[in-house]
Amino acid sequence: MSVLASAALQQIEKIVASANFVTDPAALAPYEVDGWRPTAVARPYSPEETAEIVRVAAAEKLAVIASGARTKLGIGAPPSQYDLALDLTRLRRVIAYDPADLTLSVEAGIRVADLQKVLGEQGQFLPFASPFAKSCTVGGVLASNATGPLRHSYGTARDFTLGMEFVDGSGTRTKSGGRVVKNVAGMDLHKLMIGSLGTLGVITSANFKTFPLPQASGTFVISYLRLADALALRAALAASVLSPQVLDIVSPDAVPFLDSGSGQLPAERWSVIVAAGGDQRVVERHAADIEQMAAQTGADNFAALEEVARQGLWEAVRELPATLLATSKRVVFWKISSLPGSFAAVVSEVDRIARENSLRAATLIRAAGLVYAALLPTEVDPEDDPATMNRLQRAVAQLFARTADVGARAVIEWCPLELKRRVSVWGPPGEDAELMRRVKKVFDPQNILSPGRFVGGI
Amino acid sequence: MTPGSTLAIVASSECFHSMMDPTLIAELEQALGPANVFSKPEELLLYVYDGSVEHGRPDCVVFVRTTGDVVAVARFSNQRGVPIVGRGAGTGLSGGALARNGGVQIVFSRMNRILGIDFENQRAVVQPGVVNYELTRAVEHADLYYAPDPSSQKACTIGGNVAENAGGPHTLAYGVTTNHVLGLELVLPDGEVVRIGGKTPDTPGYDLTGLLVGSEGTLALITEITVKLLRKPEAVKTLLAVYDAVDDATETVAEITARGITPAACEMLDGWTLRAVEAYVHAGFPLDSAAVLLIEIEGLREATEAQALAVAEVCRANKAREVRVARDDRERELLWKGRKNAFGAVGRISPSYYVQDGVIPRSKLPATLRRVNEIGTKYGFEIGNIFHAGDGNLHPIILFDPRDHEQFKRAASAAHEIMEWCVSLGGSITGEHGVGMEKSEMMPALFSPADLDAMKRIRDAFNPAGLLNPGKMFPLGKGCGETRVRPLPVGTSAVS
Repeated sequence: MSVLASAALQQIEKIVASANFVTDPAALAPYEVDGWRPTAVARPYSPEETAEIVRVAAAEKLAVIASGARTKLGIGAPPSQYDLALDLTRLRRVIAYDPADLTLSVEAGIRVADLQKVLGEQGQFLPFASPFAKSCTVGGVLASNATGPLRHSYGTARDFTLGMEFVDGSGTRTKSGGRVVKNVAGMDLHKLMIGSLGTLGVITSANFKTFPLPQASGTFVISYLRLADALALRAALAASVLSPQVLDIVSPDAVPFLDSGSGQLPAERWSVIVAAGGDQRVVERHAADIEQMAAQTGADNFAALEEVARQGLWEAVRELPATLLATSKRVVFWKISSLPGSFAAVVSEVDRIARENSLRAATLIRAAGLVYAALLPTEVDPEDDPATMNRLQRAVAQLFARTADVGARAVIEWCPLELKRRVSVWGPPGEDAELMRRVKKVFDPQNILSPGRFVGGI
Repeated sequence: MTPGSTLAIVASSECFHSMMDPTLIAELEQALGPANVFSKPEELLLYVYDGSVEHGRPDCVVFVRTTGDVVAVARFSNQRGVPIVGRGAGTGLSGGALARNGGVQIVFSRMNRILGIDFENQRAVVQPGVVNYELTRAVEHADLYYAPDPSSQKACTIGGNVAENAGGPHTLAYGVTTNHVLGLELVLPDGEVVRIGGKTPDTPGYDLTGLLVGSEGTLALITEITVKLLRKPEAVKTLLAVYDAVDDATETVAEITARGITPAACEMLDGWTLRAVEAYVHAGFPLDSAAVLLIEIEGLREATEAQALAVAEVCRANKAREVRVARDDRERELLWKGRKNAFGAVGRISPSYYVQDGVIPRSKLPATLRRVNEIGTKYGFEIGNIFHAGDGNLHPIILFDPRDHEQFKRAASAAHEIMEWCVSLGGSITGEHGVGMEKSEMMPALFSPADLDAMKRIRDAFNPAGLLNPGKMFPLGKGCGETRVRPLPVGTSAVS
């Protein structure tokens, strides 16, 4: 590191005070991103400190990667540079909460679980339901656009985030949107921040609209031998007036990762998992109608889960990526955006590619328009076998191409570092890549924020 | 509407002649066909106005039908340094489609084909000139509809809706335009065509579609829009709650919100406005009431029954003297006709009116309407209110005579005070109409110089020559004298 760069880090240490500045190698290990270890970690207390730090970093072109609970640092391409980790977990205040208006403003480093407790006391919640739920922070969820099963009815962060404050790549504090549920003043810069992996700015706070917790809910599991019949249930539900909160379909190979032995999901079956919420009679109506649709589509089984089983299953579904990552060091976890009409084709390609490359595939279809697919080595593969990596690499190329052929768009959310060094996790860039580069230049002209990790090499 | 905004057209007929060199006009005629290019004064006159109190002065009006046409106009603008301003049906309420600095008005009303409807996947791809309500009509046989429903939906275009991120009464439950637009085809100011987003969710990369929606025509011209369609609900219950005091109506809304009940729509009309409306629409609004709430519940039969009961209970607890439920579609449509045609009805009783678009937290609604009333009294106006009470989006209506300059100034001051109040409560200056020309000078009340600078840098990244819809959204920072023009005296012919 150059003298000037070291001097900059010393300046940053002064900004946060030594107690919040870490250089000990052992303590830096948790902040590694794809094999890159930063030189230091700074933990600011306020947006002002955050801005000052970024300003100093920009002056010496120190690359900064912000994080909260660090649960999703593995997403994206490896950084091209990484000097300073910016740990936002000390920014965790509830800035303003108006339960009567169902609006909220919080600092980005607050844990989602802690925030939900605060909201729960007022009978409200935020419908994130994304993985790593026990530890993840609001900022991390926004920056990675992490979503979960509730997106079927509540939408994603862009649908309930009202505004944001962030520090751009020059260290300037910037605000977009507002605090009320309806607002079109100015440009929606906060929409750009969502899913940007920290490449446009460091999110310091966000404003949301909150939602009432449903009074009652029910979860139903409907199982099928064939995917086509499970998809027929999805189509029937889409064509009906029912309004499920959640609608996921899991493959037989996904069952071992979702069913902690309590038997809610029959083995060797495709299971459609539907949740309904609201007033008790609404839940009963869903139960009755769905049971009928299940019979009409030739389901093997229809079950309405009891409370404890319901909670267990929902946690498992929500945490699927985390579970897969914990199970195998070589899982390649895909997020494939697809129209419902193409679900069958996408799954068929995934299965074919898995077979051709002697891999396992576990899939979870989210009816809103996503197929999550995990490609894993089969049990018999020794972990260090280089041939496995070659097969995964070949599968990656095939999956990008073949999903595009059926009108879907795939990205790799998680994969082994070795594979990231061989393939682009984002797939081929689209025609919008140049516009994205322009946007990046606007907010981070020095390219110091999370450089190299994003789409198109940004 | 603040001191810095353009007011009216100068009496002199010179400004109604195109200021554009005839050779440039000939170039446009060559590219688009002479039938699609207007440059005579009497042809330009209609495009001086939109739905707001602002005015523009285009030098030329062109009609486009294809992306190729739009590219030709963009290239022309880029090469000749001529400003271009997009326009749909001209129903906008903030001056967004007006040619503030002259130039070419590019009108999309003839680019109005529905390019494709994917019933299975509930998607539609439309050209920008498609009228909002026409899209719903095209899919209603399949029990689908396009949710964002501005009151002007029978005239306004989806392209315009996208530019302003338009709302409407049903956005309370279903969201605004940005929650329903998945992808766009853009023509950049230099003529380049780019597709962003798409039919499938979560396009990798930055949410450019989210940036473009609501960018008020300052970043790119939109030539194709991909939207999602919703399924029609099983049941709808429309309630009319009648009150003897405005406070009781506003307290009802605050309590419905606080209880976490989300109607599909929750609209309020005060007595003054509903009397004006009733004379014209005959919707059945009770003439002797102080205020009514029009509340719509949608969803499953079971859900609507439960919700309607809960809502009626809250209304009565807040002293509603009557809660009516529309008995059939006809009654329901009549109530909505009353609401959606209100501004037109008001137009019958005043030479002009000024509608605002402030937003406040729902919990502050009662205090806000009292304040609006106070402000009206202070400036000598009766201010009507007909608005989206359920999401705190106010539409105070100030009636004025544009020929009376002093009255106009007072109306502007009253409007300004209302906006200041909204901002002081942590609200917004615009819930759905957009900033445009009308509220640009108030942007610094909401955004710091750094915030505005960031938005300008984004605009400059897309629109580096500043030729696309100049003079919108950002404060001009000019004094009164530079941009305001005297109102038109009555009886003067604008065209010599």
